[in-house]
Amino acid sequence: MKKYIPLFMFLAVTASSCDKKLDLLPQQSVAEEVALSSDANVKKILNGCYDALSSANLYGGHVLLFSELQAADGEILWEGTYNEPREVYRKDILTTNSYVRDTWLTSYRTINIANNVLGSIDVIAAADKNRVKGEALFIRAAVYFELVKLYAKPYSVGSVTTNLGVPLILTPTRGINESNYVARSTVEQVYARILTDLTEAESLLPNTNGSYATKPAAAAMLSRVYLQMERFTDARDAADRAISVATANGKSLTSTYAAAFNNSTNATEYLFAMQVSAQDGANAMHEFWSIPEYGGRDGDVSIQAKHLALYAPTDARLALFYSGAGATRSGKWQQQFKVLPLIRLAELYLTRAEANFRAGTVIGATPLADVNRIRNRAGLLPLVIVTLADILAERKLELAHEGHAAADLKRLRGSADGFAYNANKMVFPIPQREVDASKGVIVQNEGY
Amino acid sequence: MRKKLLFSFCAWLFASMTLLAQNRTVTGKVTDSQSGTPLPGVTISVNGKAIGTTDAQGFFTLSIPAATKKFSVSYVGYSDQSVTITGNTIAIALKQADNKNLDEVIVVGYGTKTKKDLTGNIARVKGSDVANIPVPNFTQALQGRAAGVFVESQSGKVGEGIKVRIRGAGSISASNAPLYVVDGVPINGDAASGSSLADINFNDIETFDILKDASAASIYGSRAANGVVLITTKKGKAGKTNLNVNMQYGSNKPTHLRGFLDAKEFVDLLREAAINSDKIEGVDPLDPAQYSGSWLQFAEGRLTRYAGHTNWRTLETNTNWEKLAFNDNANSKLMDISASGGNEKTRFYISGGYNGQDGILFGNDFQRISGRFNLDHEASERVKIGVNLTVARTVANRVANDNQFFTPMQIVALAPITPVRNAAGITNDRPVTTYYNPLIELEASRYVSTTYRNIGSAYLNYKFSNNLVFKTEFGLDVQNQNDDEFYGVRSTVGQSTNGYGQSTWFRRVNYNTNNYLNYINTFKEKHFIDATLGMSFQDFKTDYTTVYGQDFPLDELKKLASAGTITGGSSTLTESSILSYFARANYKFDNKYLLSVSGRIDGSSRFGKENKHGFFPAVSAGWILSEENFLKDVKALSFLKLRGSFGLTGNDAGFGDFAHLGLWGAAKYNNTSGLVPTQLANPKLKWEKSEQTDIGIDFGFFNNRLTGEIDYYVRNTRDLIYDIPVPGTSGFSTQTVNIGSMQNKGFELVLNSVNINNKAVKWNSSLNISRNNNKITKLDGEQTIIPGNDGRYLNSLMVGQGIGVFYGPKFAGADPANGDALYYKADGKTTTNVYNDAGTFVVGNPNPDWIAGLNNSVSWKGLELSVLFQGVFGNQIMNGAGGFMSASFDWFDNQTKDQLDRWQKAGDVTNVPQLRLGYGNGIGASSRYVENGDYVRLKNITLAYNLDSKLLSRFKLRSARFYVTGVNLATITKYKGWDPEVNSDYRAGNNRNQGSDFYSAPQIKSITFGVSLGF
Repeated sequence: MKKYIPLFMFLAVTASSCDKKLDLLPQQSVAEEVALSSDANVKKILNGCYDALSSANLYGGHVLLFSELQAADGEILWEGTYNEPREVYRKDILTTNSYVRDTWLTSYRTINIANNVLGSIDVIAAADKNRVKGEALFIRAAVYFELVKLYAKPYSVGSVTTNLGVPLILTPTRGINESNYVARSTVEQVYARILTDLTEAESLLPNTNGSYATKPAAAAMLSRVYLQMERFTDARDAADRAISVATANGKSLTSTYAAAFNNSTNATEYLFAMQVSAQDGANAMHEFWSIPEYGGRDGDVSIQAKHLALYAPTDARLALFYSGAGATRSGKWQQQFKVLPLIRLAELYLTRAEANFRAGTVIGATPLADVNRIRNRAGLLPLVIVTLADILAERKLELAHEGHAAADLKRLRGSADGFAYNANKMVFPIPQREVDASKGVIVQNEGY
Repeated sequence: MRKKLLFSFCAWLFASMTLLAQNRTVTGKVTDSQSGTPLPGVTISVNGKAIGTTDAQGFFTLSIPAATKKFSVSYVGYSDQSVTITGNTIAIALKQADNKNLDEVIVVGYGTKTKKDLTGNIARVKGSDVANIPVPNFTQALQGRAAGVFVESQSGKVGEGIKVRIRGAGSISASNAPLYVVDGVPINGDAASGSSLADINFNDIETFDILKDASAASIYGSRAANGVVLITTKKGKAGKTNLNVNMQYGSNKPTHLRGFLDAKEFVDLLREAAINSDKIEGVDPLDPAQYSGSWLQFAEGRLTRYAGHTNWRTLETNTNWEKLAFNDNANSKLMDISASGGNEKTRFYISGGYNGQDGILFGNDFQRISGRFNLDHEASERVKIGVNLTVARTVANRVANDNQFFTPMQIVALAPITPVRNAAGITNDRPVTTYYNPLIELEASRYVSTTYRNIGSAYLNYKFSNNLVFKTEFGLDVQNQNDDEFYGVRSTVGQSTNGYGQSTWFRRVNYNTNNYLNYINTFKEKHFIDATLGMSFQDFKTDYTTVYGQDFPLDELKKLASAGTITGGSSTLTESSILSYFARANYKFDNKYLLSVSGRIDGSSRFGKENKHGFFPAVSAGWILSEENFLKDVKALSFLKLRGSFGLTGNDAGFGDFAHLGLWGAAKYNNTSGLVPTQLANPKLKWEKSEQTDIGIDFGFFNNRLTGEIDYYVRNTRDLIYDIPVPGTSGFSTQTVNIGSMQNKGFELVLNSVNINNKAVKWNSSLNISRNNNKITKLDGEQTIIPGNDGRYLNSLMVGQGIGVFYGPKFAGADPANGDALYYKADGKTTTNVYNDAGTFVVGNPNPDWIAGLNNSVSWKGLELSVLFQGVFGNQIMNGAGGFMSASFDWFDNQTKDQLDRWQKAGDVTNVPQLRLGYGNGIGASSRYVENGDYVRLKNITLAYNLDSKLLSRFKLRSARFYVTGVNLATITKYKGWDPEVNSDYRAGNNRNQGSDFYSAPQIKSITFGVSLGF
């Protein structure tokens, strides 16, 4: 028996030394407890929240693209080979459309990250708490605003207390159980939550904050929400607050219209923009609107004569269009790896002008002064008197192809390509996977 | 408890050893029964204990207990022989083993067994049967050669992935690939790109033993659920050193071209589509007043653009782009040199080989240089040591996956009116070409993948006694891969950034140790016991590093050192380990009754504390009826065995190393790092478990001229790991859980016959047929359907159906009244032209019902002919690119020829809806793009001539063989696509995604000439 002793020792040593090797941890990831444990970590989560927000599916471009495609009305043409954006363009969307699905998923992913920041706000150092909370609220509200515009009937349709909005999730996900199957709130409930969050965000956020969310950005976002709700005095006041705080802190219209686009860092005019560089960030507007020469796809969106005819020949905004890959292209999205502007100061002047005009007030400035400020920069002669139609026409040209088209069309009760603002097909379907995964708790939109 | 068990088992082992009594001396010589040449290194054993070997001249001297009357003689490649001791000097003539001989020694994992005594199901393919088949990957060479083993190359790209399924797919999310073990070491199955199995030179392989049922495989426990392929490399034999030189040259072609519209058809149909769209909008574009702004104007504008410097109205250009995807001059070259030999104490096998395969696609090729060194040495009577070592370098020029505009096959989308080159002779690109012209890749881009692979193992056997042997093995598999990519300034990737380069390093290292005891003994002549007890540990570590940059001064400077900007980089590391204890006992009574019991305990780093360990037992039994007296008189019957087995195996691979943890990972925004949640936790995650029952009959008739096996099996897999969809509102889309179960049920038939066997002519046939019925038996208990319609494909998961069935709208052809695409509504009878209103149906199943192989080999004098047919039946294929290429001219992609049958006028009955530009008439994923994928293929045909001995001696050769081999020379199929053996690479990572075609290259058809010389 003795001769086997070394053998048993060998086996015992091998086995015991190997047993420890079964407890391995990942190298690229950490556990939730670690992630949420400290001030520094939660601030990193906040930056992660911006990363999710900047995804191509969301503010990295698709949300803007969808808006323009829905309201194309013969002014732009989707001529790309991808048939899923074309479904949006044709207002004939399959419930399995992966673009529609991914925007939904990315939106809620962003919301969950924001909820994680808000849920761990107590570990943030006192000095930064307001700012961090304000940023997370701003992001959450902005995403809900985009969701409710895409996946629900517009506010202008009415019946907001019965029309379905989107599910409201306000706490971080810690596992999957019954509480994660949440039905859609009404349009009114979603708007109410957006207003609450944005109002609180505006009060908490600092006036300047690098390229991150600020007080004027929150006010600007509020003005958009109020415009959708047609609460013009609130929209006016929010726009006015945004303008006054922003301009007091160094923001101004760029000297030329072209300078407001294709920038590697925020232009003076940007109140909020998605940061993009060669190393990081997506700009799907560039991807689809630009051409191979500039790193775009095949020039999937082209600008049609119907749109070009809207400009005066001397309009600097007309001059920004260029020819490439066999059609006219938007110069706003020409260059690769450029910052993607979401809120420009110009928008707020036009919002204030419109809201003042509708309310018959002159808070901040007269509608005429605000409109002429924009016309002047575009190299156009000032108007002497201004009508609502002038303001709206100016707004359309100034903000063309920047993702405002569908929102404006719907609140102004217009139509595009034969689809009225309140048509079922002007609303996205709820992604089929979501109807399935929620076991029917989330119901499909009318018309799908 | 576990350790106590282990101890008492050992104690029992040792206590039962017997001592040897008084001995006498026997001498003799062993020779080949045909040639009479002496056989060195032949093992001589008594009651299963080896007691000696023959020397270089075939002589032996034995010291045998006086009471012993018989001993047995065994030698690789020869039939075992039982010898009755008569006198003190004995001459033994050994017969060479037939291909499928029952006395063949089969490798079973931590041991061997003769085929006759098997109680599980193991299929063997000999290395010599597949040697010199001109394919890069040994799994391709196994296609059609073993029952129940399904092999499918994704496409005709060389060096890429190959799907192997043993008795069907058992898992939805975890791996369905078998475990590959080379000389005792489980090898790496992953690579940064391509297939890690292509690193192995299969001309070095002696045998493949494919463990199919649970009793055979369960000794590999948690990794055996998908079967195990045991690969044994060639060993040297004592005696004269044999040198073999082998050379091949061949040419490769695609099996089939699909056919697209020519220039005239393209122009006619596109204009027709535009006019149809105009008419829907109430516009008559042929009226000059209405032309402006019409679809026709738009389309003709595009025609002008696509015609480049030529005139489309006169059809000046007619380019067949499809042909341009292929390399007209694709060749394959192979050269191998091997030497083997040795003496009684030391034996070696050395080889070096080169294998160069040009892909049929332009810019695609594969080369492998490999060497092998196998050495076995008997240091003393007790100690035997050895190494098996291989080094290989593979270099592959890859092409992009099927879903990229710059992959060669997507060239078919370009318009036939577009000239390849412009007036200045430069390759046309957008906007003249419809999409990026993949031909530019050849000039502007490079994607080279280089792998250095070293699989080695060393072993030491220590013979405590004739009954008890201890074996320790240490193995190492080192895989170093570099993917070097460069996209020049004209390429679609590098165009806007002034060139783009990326360098990726992938290193996967696994080390493994196996330590086990093997005990054999016979009691009272009739009770034979063979027991194994041991442990094993294996650790896998994967490093991955990538760097990329842009802005290169010129296309000649392709390395990142020349990049103006390094735009990014990353490195990651992941590790897993597995610790196992295993035991097996085989018992045989009176050579008639067989019983085998085994168990393995695995501990894995991949699961949380609650489920770290798993136990995988198996039991099997056999009854050799032909040994019974009541059958001994049946002359026709030479062998009959009934066997049955049941066992449990597991699956722990294919879903990451840390799937049970809730994780947060890094993100980046504004060039600043961030943290984001990446995975929902599931501490309850555990192995997938497979229970398999197998019942089989092995038989032999007419002196074993007709032998065969029939098996029926049921494999139930439960606790399937799956990323179930969770409400996206949670911020996650999936969670990894153990849900559901799956069943594979089937039967296998193997028949081998010696049809003619006389001096002049030998004709052998072997047939294998298998049927497998795969079905999901449970998903999460609530859902019975997880639909998978993603716009291109319909692969879904459904209870009661095979994995990945096509579930979606059923196409009802074109409406004879107006040419609208019609779909069946949910009632299955009425139709609708609204895709979203269509009902959903199972419209196809990508899992084959039947697979089969039939091999015939005939030899006459020096001539040999071997013909292998292989077939797959009962599966469907879905063309995910149908919505682009067979889309009633929805957009400007060139269309397949079948679109000529489009609906044109009221009353037309056709499956091609009216052509409508931009109207998506019938392009949603539906049964319109599903077709039968059955095929029968002349997989392999080899005609060889062996020089006769007279000529051989004149040239001083030991052997000389001249041959010509054809692969895939003929395919019988109704599938209209390129090739029915297909599963597009960009989707193949998901088990559910089967039977998908997407601009996938057809398989390679080749003819190769070769010569093998032995010195």
